[in-house]
Amino acid sequence: MNLLFGLSPFLAVGVGALLLMLAEAFGKPNVAPGVETTDAGAGRAGELALGAAVILVIGAVLSVAVWVAGPESLPELTQVAPHLVIDKFTLFFSFTLCVGGALAALLAGGYLPEHGIDRSEFFPLLLLSTVGAMALSAAGDLLTLFVALETMSLGVYSLIGLRRGSPRAAEAALKYFLLGSFAAAIMLFGLALLYGATGHTDLAGIGAAVRSIGSPGSTVSAGKILISLVLVLVGLAFKVSAVPFHQWTPDAYEGAPTPAATYMAVAVKSAAFAVLLRVLLVGFGDERLASWGAGWPPALAVLAVLSMTVANLVAGRQESVKRMLAYSSIAHAGYALVGVVAAMRSPEAVSAVAFYLLAYTVSTAGAFGALILCGSRGAEAVSYEDLAGVGKRHPAAALAFSLFLFSLAGLPPTAGFFGKLYVFRTAIDSGLYTLAILGLVNSVIGAYYYLRVMVYLYMREPAPGAPRAVTMRSGFVATALVAAAIFVLLLGMAPGFTLDMASGAALTAR
Amino acid sequence: MPFLESHLLGVIVAAPFLAALALLFVSPTRPGAIRAISLVGALVSLAGSVHVALGYDLARGGLQRAERYPLVPSLGIDLSLAVDGWSVSLLLLTGVIIVTGVLASWTLTDRPRDFFVLLLVLVAGVFGVFVCQDLFVFFLFYEIAVLPMYLLIGIWGSRGKVPAAGPFAFVWRRFDVGGREYAAMKLTLMLLVGSAAILVVILALYSAAGGSTFDLQALARARFPRELQLWAFPLLWLGFGSLAGVFPFHTWSPDGHAAAPTAVSMLHAGVLMKLGAFGVIRVGMLLLPEGASYWAPTVGGVAVINVLYGAICALTQRDLKYVIAYSSVSHMGVVMLGAATLTVDGWNGAIYQMFAHGMMTGLFFALVGLVYDRAHTRWVPSMGGFARQMPWVASFFVLAGLSSLGLPGLAGFVAEFLVFLGAWQSQHYVWALAGVLGAWVTAVYVLRVGRDIFFGEGPRSDEIHHLTDARRSEWGALWVLGACLVVFGSYPRLILDFIHVATLEYLPRAAGAASALLEASR
Repeated sequence: MNLLFGLSPFLAVGVGALLLMLAEAFGKPNVAPGVETTDAGAGRAGELALGAAVILVIGAVLSVAVWVAGPESLPELTQVAPHLVIDKFTLFFSFTLCVGGALAALLAGGYLPEHGIDRSEFFPLLLLSTVGAMALSAAGDLLTLFVALETMSLGVYSLIGLRRGSPRAAEAALKYFLLGSFAAAIMLFGLALLYGATGHTDLAGIGAAVRSIGSPGSTVSAGKILISLVLVLVGLAFKVSAVPFHQWTPDAYEGAPTPAATYMAVAVKSAAFAVLLRVLLVGFGDERLASWGAGWPPALAVLAVLSMTVANLVAGRQESVKRMLAYSSIAHAGYALVGVVAAMRSPEAVSAVAFYLLAYTVSTAGAFGALILCGSRGAEAVSYEDLAGVGKRHPAAALAFSLFLFSLAGLPPTAGFFGKLYVFRTAIDSGLYTLAILGLVNSVIGAYYYLRVMVYLYMREPAPGAPRAVTMRSGFVATALVAAAIFVLLLGMAPGFTLDMASGAALTAR
Repeated sequence: MPFLESHLLGVIVAAPFLAALALLFVSPTRPGAIRAISLVGALVSLAGSVHVALGYDLARGGLQRAERYPLVPSLGIDLSLAVDGWSVSLLLLTGVIIVTGVLASWTLTDRPRDFFVLLLVLVAGVFGVFVCQDLFVFFLFYEIAVLPMYLLIGIWGSRGKVPAAGPFAFVWRRFDVGGREYAAMKLTLMLLVGSAAILVVILALYSAAGGSTFDLQALARARFPRELQLWAFPLLWLGFGSLAGVFPFHTWSPDGHAAAPTAVSMLHAGVLMKLGAFGVIRVGMLLLPEGASYWAPTVGGVAVINVLYGAICALTQRDLKYVIAYSSVSHMGVVMLGAATLTVDGWNGAIYQMFAHGMMTGLFFALVGLVYDRAHTRWVPSMGGFARQMPWVASFFVLAGLSSLGLPGLAGFVAEFLVFLGAWQSQHYVWALAGVLGAWVTAVYVLRVGRDIFFGEGPRSDEIHHLTDARRSEWGALWVLGACLVVFGSYPRLILDFIHVATLEYLPRAAGAASALLEASR
């Protein structure tokens, strides 16, 4: 019983996905009379979105429940270890993932019918992908890791290509699929090498084997470990879209339906960071590999600086808001990587990254949601010009957009501010002054393009005669925005509770 | 009312904020109610500030009226409020400026509700900074005070542009220099860079002090290692200094002040720039005394550049708002100069200059707004002879100008005199000399601009019949600020007593470190 309870967040979302699939298959299409359709779920995005959101919220609530009960007091959980490691770290991330997924589902409930892609497979795919993401955050074994990664990714590949008639979407899906498979293959090679070098598939065993290098009688080859480390880093850097492995991101986000882009930006990235932290700290946590002079910290520091700087500079030059948000997500990967680097010395950095990703999840989902509200069928808000005058046409959407941009820019009193603060604080505590200062300078550069959106929202009038985006109204999107806004303000004004939770997550990561 | 009495500082900070919240529920089509609520919020804060000043126990000194509300206990962040003598004087300044600022924007017609909401949120942040005793919340309030400025300038800013000229005209056109969006973006980004520097130092201090508290008093007792002080102080100086207009990070200020609407210019030049200087003294010099005394010659030297460079720029400007904006840069140099002397008189003068300059520049910008409202131009050469149509405006302009150039009997004189005295005592004779020179240049440009606008025969003297003097609510700002200049100039003890108490308490820490440094160098 305790085992079932411990696994309940995963089970709830997984079983929910299957139920939703049945509900979709056996329901009646809800289309206008006279329209022929072979899709049993056509026209039912609303109810399915509601179902998916409820399932994911249940997943989030169960994560909290298991957290409160304390995974360490459930000894049965060791039966599934190391394939699934249910600790507070996992639970914190599965909460974040469920929240991100639920927000994406709500956005889709408004977005898909509005834009005539009312295809109901979106929601079961979203849920299955979330199960993969949650399993990824719990993966303590190379096999689970890879299977979970692929489960998560396969769902996302098809979500991107949902808009079948659009060549852009096809391009985006193909690009993500090809590059993603390539990266997965590289990583798989790294994992195989790791197994070959150490004889273990579980991360803890690998960690012990790596520690034994240099001691008498050890047969583990340091060279193989280093090569596999590089290969695994490449694979995961692709998933978190760190520069220079980011090339797919803007195209994929732009071609994907906005809720799918939201899901990619928040859930896929968070799950990838979870597994990155666990692999690095548990598998490669040896002091010789996790030190400033050698191993992964300097490599990740380079990735962090590149991600922040390149993404921020390029984001400022975008004409499409969606692409800008894509580059912003790359930049945020850079900030979070600063925390990952700091994790080599300070265990608190793990909780800083966890908190950061939760703050990032709600802010980014909110920003995408507000962007959805600014456009409607045939007149999707894409460019900055489309946002001109929204402050007058749809004040609520503009206000929400501003709030989430503030949070993304890291300005108080929002979640993003505390997220950045926490990450850079741990960086300073670990003596990484240069990284912290570069990160803060980059936040300022980032503020430029976030504020630029506000220039258009509030200070520009649409050019006379130009086709303008018509704002839409949708209860689903509004619900998602309100929920995200509550999160952003709560984490920004009273972060104490969540900070405590996040710092609880840190201790059990290893 | 014991509750009010024991939570007065909280009430002062919260009143504008609550008024802003209340405004959100008022229909935007009822400007009367909007103005009334804003004015009430501002008046409550002013009344609270006056009450705090009257109730401050000068004999006891130190921090009084302490209030503490836990915010993030796990990180040691509390909302802890208390006043010392410095805070008292700056609270008074802020209260007066926001009330007169609301009065000065009484006739605003473009989206008045949103304007007042942002204005009140901003001023709540300013009040918060002046009474806050927790470094982290200090920073939060600081940001709250700075950020609304972006929208206030970007949406309600003046549409006037600087004509592009000179060899770099193409650059000006490319970036729309002088436009309000340019000004708002420049101001926000430059100040955010400053904030980033401040945040690094705050986190470094927090971590060096053991990572358990952000309390300013506790941090002041922490005695940070010398190495940390030496690199942290300049970062803080430049971080806060970017808001105080320290050369060469002052360039946002002329553009920002020129583009901002009247009330925002008043608040920004009158109060916000003081936040920067206050931050340098309160956080920089009190927490990092060794760093402060090591860097004091640099701070003072740059302040001298500020004074002279600002004054010379003001001399060459032809746009009225730019003249006043550069005069602010110059006068803020006097504040930093006083702070850098590390003497009792210098610090008294620095804080007094914040107070006096706030009143004076508030009056200036209120007048400039009036003139612009009537004449629809800020271009000085196209004005002239306005005194016949608006004699009171002209009189108040001359009054503010005389205070600005340091005429004895007006508030500006007291401040500048003390600062120069401090400079002399600290044996930086050059600073005193340069400061006096700056005051002289100030006299030249202020009197010249006054003459060009109000007296003599302007090129458009036949077209100025429609100009009118101040009307109704506009009188408020002029009389209140003008009276303050005269009253506090002729009887400076009203404010100076408060400032002096706090200075006597704080200076020994910084000066003690200075003398220790001197000993070490011998």
